[in-house]
Amino acid sequence: MKQRLGYLALPLVLAAAFATQARADGETIAVFTKNQTNPFFQTVRVGADNMAKTLNAKTLQYIPTKPDSIPEQLSQIEDVVVKKPSAIVFTPVDYKAMVPGVEKINDAKIPVVNITDRSAGGKFLSFVGADDYSLGLETARFLLKTLGGKGNIVIIEGVKGSLTNVDRVRGFNDALKENPGAKLLASQPGNYQRLQALQVMENLMQSNAQIDGVLAANDAMAVGAIEALDGANRKAQVIGINGTKEAIDAIKSGKLLASGDYNGFYQGCLGTMMAIRSLRNEPVISEIVLKPTVITRDNYQPFDQPLEQRTCPTFEEAGKLGAK
Amino acid sequence: MTDITKEALSPPRSFLSQDAIQLFYRLLAVLLICAVLAVLNDSFLSLGNILNVLRQASLTFFIASGLTLVVLTAGLDLSVGANVALSACVAGTVIHTTGSPVLGILTGLACGGIVGLLNGIMVTALRIPSFIATYGMLWVLNGLTYWYMAGETLHGFPAGFRQIGSGYLFGLPIPVYLLLVFLGIGTLFAQRTIWGQEIYAIGANPVAARLSGIPVTRRLLLVYAVSGTMAGLASIIFLSRLNSAEADIGESLTLPAIAAVLIGGTSLFGGVGTVFGTFIGALILTLVLNGMNLLSVSANWQPLVTGIIVILAVWLDMKTRRRAQ
Repeated sequence: MKQRLGYLALPLVLAAAFATQARADGETIAVFTKNQTNPFFQTVRVGADNMAKTLNAKTLQYIPTKPDSIPEQLSQIEDVVVKKPSAIVFTPVDYKAMVPGVEKINDAKIPVVNITDRSAGGKFLSFVGADDYSLGLETARFLLKTLGGKGNIVIIEGVKGSLTNVDRVRGFNDALKENPGAKLLASQPGNYQRLQALQVMENLMQSNAQIDGVLAANDAMAVGAIEALDGANRKAQVIGINGTKEAIDAIKSGKLLASGDYNGFYQGCLGTMMAIRSLRNEPVISEIVLKPTVITRDNYQPFDQPLEQRTCPTFEEAGKLGAK
Repeated sequence: MTDITKEALSPPRSFLSQDAIQLFYRLLAVLLICAVLAVLNDSFLSLGNILNVLRQASLTFFIASGLTLVVLTAGLDLSVGANVALSACVAGTVIHTTGSPVLGILTGLACGGIVGLLNGIMVTALRIPSFIATYGMLWVLNGLTYWYMAGETLHGFPAGFRQIGSGYLFGLPIPVYLLLVFLGIGTLFAQRTIWGQEIYAIGANPVAARLSGIPVTRRLLLVYAVSGTMAGLASIIFLSRLNSAEADIGESLTLPAIAAVLIGGTSLFGGVGTVFGTFIGALILTLVLNGMNLLSVSANWQPLVTGIIVILAVWLDMKTRRRAQ
């Protein structure tokens, strides 16, 4: 027993020795994202890696194998608390259910930055995220402006009850309220899935002879809706959200009107930056809510670069991106 | 166990007459749903919408038709959706890199079939219960697909290839032709061939089947391989219809396929059911969603209504079946 405890202590002693010796760099940042399936989180991870490399630190990625699994992220937290990384950049798979997990991290005295979805509890150094509501509002405003403030509109919703969907759809609806000339024909669920959005769109086209605009709560559903429209030889203006590579290609070819960028890359960059800065006793910004960017034919170029070639903002730029 | 003994002791019965009664009830249910929807919405009975529903039902049917054979042997294949996802991603990559849709289609079918065969080997040679073996396979496939795709999507395929899923021939969508072809093949195979009858016999009583000289292992391997290959076919239709592949499509395909088999009257205990029933099951699921979209039923109520329909269909099935016996 004694011996085993000794083994346990050994890495701690070593880690402590390294920590005091090389305080300036070489930190390990554990990055928690929700799943491996949504391209958005891939952009977050690349952003985090990019920033860590720039600042001479390392990242360790923690991703549930079953997408958005609460028990799996909880057990990953238990692992990470034992492993003791220098700091954690954390996206909760569920903003309420993961609070006990965050408390475990707090109890272990590991500094933690919250990104993307705002946790309902726990202590964080900093929050970096975007605003789903304004993302929905701005993209929908852009679509309605293109249509001249009128026309028949359908909304394709994401997963009912998910925080992102509730806020995005609320944004869509508020933009519609600003345009009394526009008529909402239907608001139907596509569960963020391409196939379901395609089928919903096919069904809606059966009972609606004229659809002018489609507001989809993510890019995959927007592209699904476009496939349905193409299949029926019909035209409508479609917007999506997330700024995925596929969406950029569709904007370039004129099939998609616009996509709202959630700035996953910046969230990864800035979350990691704040974590490392606090470890180095440099000032951090306690809250950054990135302004939504509506990606259109006129401004898609910077988003058309491969992720690996994009550059993270500097700390000075970060201050201007939406700090509170 | 009691079910198997009961089956073994009951006198031999004709599969067709028993199933004919069940199919009658099921068609009645479809007509009822159609009648209600036709009254509530003018566009429902238009030719466009009927073809639309058939095309949408076809994807679920392709997956569920192979699965029906597995369920007939008292097994289950939980990996079908994950298999579609992996096969679609692999086939998509082959088309992108070689530029040859034919090569892509063959790879997709082969990928699906190999996964199915591996399931069959786990069930027969390793004697792992199919539920567990294919559940394990689901994770293996998800892991492979997530790793392989790394959060990316594949999109943009040649126009010729796109015809398979989105094209028309003499005014009918091409997936509807494929649906009719595989409905015919599946029905003939299960009802009119010795292999098909042997599959029913294995499901009804595996011990008796073995004792009467049926090569149970080989038939089970066949059944899982067919289920996998049909998942491969579904992946091709998916790819061609949606013009893209991503890692997370599997989850949304598995449960509807299983539901279609069960609503279609195939018993989880094996030996009872038809491929045609599964087609009706896929049709009912599709009609319900189509109807709710046409009627603009709130997004909140859609899963609830679907759930109730599934429970109701299976309950009615068991009730009428008991009476028929």
